Amino acid sequence: MRFKTLAFKTSATIAVLGLSLTACSSSGSPSSATNRASEDGSPVSGGTFTYAEVTPINNWQTQAARFYEKANVLNSVLDRLTYYDPETGEIVGWIASKFESNKAKTEYTFTIRDGVTFSNGTALDAAAVKANFDALGLGIESAQIQPNVDFSAYKSSEVVGENQVRVTLKRPDANFLRATTSVTAGLVAPETLKLDNAGQSSISKIVGSGPFVFKSEKADEEVVFSKRADYKWAPETAENQGAAYIDELVIKYLPEVAHRAGAAQSGQVDLVRGLQPVDEQTLTAGGGTVYPASGIDLTANMAAVRIGSGKLADVKVRQALQVGIDRQAIKDTVLSDSYEIAASVVNHKAPGFVDLSAELAYDPEKSKKLLDEAGWKVGADGIREKDGKDLEVTVSSSNNSVVIKPAFELIEQQWRAIGVKLVNRAGDNTFLTNALVDPKIEFFGTRQFAYGGVGPVFGPATNTQTLNADEALNALFLKEQAATTEAEHLKLVGDEQRALVTEKVLSLPLWDEVQVYGANENAHIEFTSGTAPIFQGAWKSEG
Amino acid sequence: MSGFILRRIAQSILVIWLAYTAVFLAVQALPNDPVTIFLSTDASADPATIAQMKAHYGYDRPLLEQYFSQLGGLLTGNFGYSLSSGTPVAERIAEVAGSTLWLASSAFVFAVVLALVIVTVGTLSKSEWIKKVFLNLPPLMVAIPVFWLGLVLLQILAVQLDVMSLFPDGSFLSLAVPIFVLAVHLSAPIAQVLFKSVQSIQQQPFVDVLRAKGASESWIYFRHLLKNAAPSALSIAAITIGTLLAGSVITETVFARAGLGQLILNAVTVQDIPLVQGLVILMAVAFTGVNLLVDLIHPKLDPRIVTAGSQSARALAA
Repeated sequence: MRFKTLAFKTSATIAVLGLSLTACSSSGSPSSATNRASEDGSPVSGGTFTYAEVTPINNWQTQAARFYEKANVLNSVLDRLTYYDPETGEIVGWIASKFESNKAKTEYTFTIRDGVTFSNGTALDAAAVKANFDALGLGIESAQIQPNVDFSAYKSSEVVGENQVRVTLKRPDANFLRATTSVTAGLVAPETLKLDNAGQSSISKIVGSGPFVFKSEKADEEVVFSKRADYKWAPETAENQGAAYIDELVIKYLPEVAHRAGAAQSGQVDLVRGLQPVDEQTLTAGGGTVYPASGIDLTANMAAVRIGSGKLADVKVRQALQVGIDRQAIKDTVLSDSYEIAASVVNHKAPGFVDLSAELAYDPEKSKKLLDEAGWKVGADGIREKDGKDLEVTVSSSNNSVVIKPAFELIEQQWRAIGVKLVNRAGDNTFLTNALVDPKIEFFGTRQFAYGGVGPVFGPATNTQTLNADEALNALFLKEQAATTEAEHLKLVGDEQRALVTEKVLSLPLWDEVQVYGANENAHIEFTSGTAPIFQGAWKSEG
Repeated sequence: MSGFILRRIAQSILVIWLAYTAVFLAVQALPNDPVTIFLSTDASADPATIAQMKAHYGYDRPLLEQYFSQLGGLLTGNFGYSLSSGTPVAERIAEVAGSTLWLASSAFVFAVVLALVIVTVGTLSKSEWIKKVFLNLPPLMVAIPVFWLGLVLLQILAVQLDVMSLFPDGSFLSLAVPIFVLAVHLSAPIAQVLFKSVQSIQQQPFVDVLRAKGASESWIYFRHLLKNAAPSALSIAAITIGTLLAGSVITETVFARAGLGQLILNAVTVQDIPLVQGLVILMAVAFTGVNLLVDLIHPKLDPRIVTAGSQSARALAA
C-alpha cells in the first residue's frame, strides 16, 4: 500500500511538471519570427512540407479512398475530371476542359484537356479516361476491385473524336457529375489498372497525373512525394496553376492524439490532422494555426436511426429523442468554435441545404410529453417502460472521430433526464462490425461522403445508415437521383432533409462535418470541400 | 537429458498446433467470414464482389479443407493474404517485424541490466536509506503506465526542449527513449522476483556458514545468492514476453514507430482477420519458443531439474 502511495505522489508531481511546462510554452512563445519571407503575403517556393496523418495507410487503391487518411494524400497525387469549388459551390473543369450532358441526364460528354501526361510519361487522353470510367463503373474483376458506389448508374463509355469521352448511364443520375470530383474517382494510368489487387493497393505502383509523384516509402512510418515540375493542369479555379510551391511532401503518422498540437507548434510537422478540441487553444496560443476544414461533401455528423428493435417504431419516440438533444451543450462542452451545430442532415454550405434548426431546438418538456403520449411511462428507476420493456437504446460508431464518443456521453445524460437510457458503444470498432448491419442496434453515429445528394447515402441500394427503413422515403431517394434539372434536384434534396429530420425522424443531426487541422505558424494551406489539404497550393514562410 | 529436450520440443509443437486450432475455431465463431467483415467496415459491398473475393482467398471452401490448407500454408510460411493491403500476411509482418524485434530485444536486455543493478545496489548497499529507495523502485516502475511515461518524455524532450523528434528518425534519442520506456515497465517484475528470491536465499543456513568462513557480502552475493536466485528470475523474464508485446503496442503508438504492435492495432481496427490470425500465431510461436529456450537453459543453472523430471521443474521455477 505504501509503495502505491509513493508511486502516486511521484506520478502526480511529474504530471504537474509536465502540465506546467505546457503552460509555459503556450504563453511564452516568441512571435517575432512570424512570416519572415511573406511580407507581401505571396507564396514562397521551396522546402519540404511534412504532414502527419492519424494512422498508417496500407491500401491505396483509388476507390478505397473513401477514408480521410487516404483521400487526404491521394488528393494531391491523382487529378480528377472535374473540381468542386467550395467557394462558389460550382463544378468546374480540371482534366476535363468541358463537360456537358443530354437533357435526360443519361449521357455525359467530357472534353479532355490537351497535353496532360501521367508521371510515367504516357498521355492522359480520352482512352485513358475511358479505362478509368470502366474501372469505376464496372469494377476490375481480375483484381477483386468492386465498382465505385457513386458510379452505380454507369453503363458504358466510348471515345468520341480525338479527345472526348461519352459516358452512358443506365438511368438518370443527378449526382453523377459531382461524383467525378471525388478523390475516389481519381484518374490513374491505364498501366495501374492492369495490376493485381496488391499492385493497385501499393502507393509505389500507383501512377497518376497529379502535382506530386511517389518518391520513397518506409512501411507504416512515412511516404515521401516529390513535386512534378512540369505540372500545369490544376483545377480552373486554383490560384496556383503551375507546379507545387513545395519541393517535397512527407507524409508521417501520429497515432497519439496528445502529440498533435505539440508536433505542429514545434515545427516537427507543418500540418497535422485530428486535433482535439482541447488542444486548439494551446496551439493558437503558441503561435500555430487551427484550420477547421468544412466537409461540404459529407453529411452532418448524426445518429442514424434504425427501427428494427421496435422501441423506436413510433415516430413520436423518435421526435422526442430529436428534441431531447441539447446541441448547444454538446458544442460548449465537447466541441469548440471550429464546429458548427448541424441545422440539417447536410452541411450548411451544401447545395440544397434547408435550415431546420427550429425543429431541432432543445425542448425536454416536449420530449417528455411525446414519450408519455407514446405510452412510455417513467418506471421506478427513472427509465421509461412499456409492456415490461425498458426504453433502452444503443448507439454504435467507429473510432474515426475524436469527438463522437464524448458527444454521445453527453447525449446519454441528456436523454437520462427524459427517461431514456442510452448504451454508448461509440468508438468500439469491434462492436460496430456487427452493429453496422444490425437493425436492432438503434443508432449509428456517422457521417458519410454524400457528394451533393442525400439519395446515394440513404437510398435503398447502398444504405447502411437506416437500413432501408421507410418505403416512401426510398421512393423519394430514387426520385432525387433521377432528377434531370438542377432546380428539381435541389427541391427534392430539400424534401429529403425535411423527411429525414422532421417528418420521419430517421436521422438525428448533431454537428456539421469538419476536420480540424493544426498547422505550424509558417505553413499556409487550403482545403477541398472533402476536407483534403491542397498540397499543390501549400507553401512555407521559411524558404 | 536428450529425452527431456525432445519432450519439451514436442510439447511446444503441440502448444503451437493447439493455438492455431483455437484461432481457427475463433474465426469460425465470428458472425461472418473474414471477407464480408472486412468489406462491411466500408460502404456496403456488392454481394457478387464478396463472393468473388471469398473464392479468391479460399473462404468458400469446406471448413476441414480450409483448416488443413491453412495449416499446410503455415508449415511452409504462407499465412494467407492481408485483406487491408492485398499483400501476403508473411510479407506484411516481415516488413515491420525487424523494428519490433530490435525494440523488444534491446528493451529486454536493458530491463535485465536495470533489474540486476537495482537488486545489486539494494542488497549490497551499506546505507539503509539507499536500500529502502531501491527496494521501492520496482513497485514504482510497475505502477507507471508505459503510455504515460512515453507521453511525458516526448512532451518534454520533443515538444518543449526540441532535442528529439516525435517520429523515429534514426537518431540516438529516438531509439533510446522508447527502449527506456519499455524497459522500465519490463524490468519491474524481474527485479521484484529477483529481490524476493535473493532475500529468501539470504535466510538459508548455508549463507551463515559462508559468512562464518569469512566470505565478504559481495562475494556471497555474486557467487551464491545471484546464481541461486537466477532460475526464478529467468522464468519471470520468459513470461514477460507477453508484457513486452503489450508494451510494444503502446510504445509503438506513442512513438509513431512501425512494428508488430502497430500492425496488430491496425489489423484489429480495420478488421483484417487473416492478418490478426497470422499475428496471433506468430505470438504463440514466439511465446512458446522463448519458454522452451528458458526450459532448456534451466538445467544448466539447476541440474536437479532434469533428474527430478519436468513436472517438479516447473514447481521449482515458480
